[in-house]
Amino acid sequence: MTEPSGGSTEKPRRPVVVPAIALVTLTAVGVVALLGGLNEAPEAPKPLGQGAVLDQGMYSTRFVESRVKVEKAQSTFDQDKRFVELVFDVTNKGDETAMVGMPPEKITSAFSTTSFAGSLVNITPAFDKEAGPFTFGLVKGDETQQLQPDVPTQVIVRYRLKENERPPEKITFDVASFEEGTSFLSGTPTWEMVSKQVGDKYYPEIKARVTLPVKQEAGT
Amino acid sequence: MTTTEPRAAVAPSRRAPRDASRPGLGTRLLAAAAGLVLIGGAMWLQTAKLVEGELGDPITYSGAKGETIDARRFTVRLDSITAAKSLQGASETITTDNLFLVVGASAKSSLKPYNLAQPVLVTADGKRFDATDRVDRTLTLQNTYVQPDIWVSGRFYFEVPASALPGASVVFALPQQGVMVEPYQPQVEVDLGLDEEAARKLAASPQDVYSTVKK
Repeated sequence: MTEPSGGSTEKPRRPVVVPAIALVTLTAVGVVALLGGLNEAPEAPKPLGQGAVLDQGMYSTRFVESRVKVEKAQSTFDQDKRFVELVFDVTNKGDETAMVGMPPEKITSAFSTTSFAGSLVNITPAFDKEAGPFTFGLVKGDETQQLQPDVPTQVIVRYRLKENERPPEKITFDVASFEEGTSFLSGTPTWEMVSKQVGDKYYPEIKARVTLPVKQEAGT
Repeated sequence: MTTTEPRAAVAPSRRAPRDASRPGLGTRLLAAAAGLVLIGGAMWLQTAKLVEGELGDPITYSGAKGETIDARRFTVRLDSITAAKSLQGASETITTDNLFLVVGASAKSSLKPYNLAQPVLVTADGKRFDATDRVDRTLTLQNTYVQPDIWVSGRFYFEVPASALPGASVVFALPQQGVMVEPYQPQVEVDLGLDEEAARKLAASPQDVYSTVKK
């Protein structure tokens, strides 16, 4: 049985649906406006620990560990070298070979780099200038500065410890990320660090704050 | 008042014949379709337009493996490709989980001596692999001066996954001078001629050890 389709009912139906939708919409808009609009909320850096994986846009990065590494002397004139190492598994998700690079000396010089280590800022505790950092990719025990597209590579960032210098308990650093932009030199698409201008300086946007406990060398 | 009067008198008479000679429905549909095609064509042409950054793109001279390819400033011929699992240098042997691709090439220049830059391997889906830095660059053809009319030969070394091989090509160019990007730089793109089958065959039977020091 179907209802009669004509508008022959006695009582005209009260218009409910439209005003209700209008009210709900208005309330929703009001609530959104009160909460600060639809702009992206400023992201607080994600605290990450050992083993965490971060999508940096251009790189997919796993924070493997931090450890003390001893390199045995090669000859009698040489002496053992001790390093504090940060170990990453990095996959270059771009279309081109990328560089391992170096952590920037100043946070304001970070924005122009697209190398992997260029995205590691505010490394604390700070080390001396002579201590490094030294950076390289490790492929089958051999060093490289290249991150080939889609090929996972282990990346080491390390600082040399002085004789009898105690390694820190933990190392904390901030990680920036990259997005696709346009090269101002050639106008072609290229990766650039996500950064924001404050005054006449550019600061990288911090995607995550990573804390790694330093695995101390055995027997100390 | 006086000026509008004649117009009012003329207007209906003008409209009348037009209505009479109105084109049929088929003609109008055809005209509409033609218009859409024209608009679509115009939009498509816009996508073919070079954007700012592409205007200075290198001029690519392409060819196949074994062909002598003249890029005006220099001439390159890709002689051979070899896959290897490890490369033996003077002091150490390096290994890989992927593949070493050894590219044998010959080159000469036209007017001036040049050093070639390290080549780039471009995969079928557009990924670009720089020649590996795990092999000392002085062992590659980059280290040899390419002089006018004198053929020199040497090798370049890539480290790539086997999946990068089908449809891959190698791009030779001159090194970048300074910060500014020189427009219309010549480059040579050599198709390695590897289809799925040939790539699989090459990847399946790599040399165990390839010596980088042998002449």
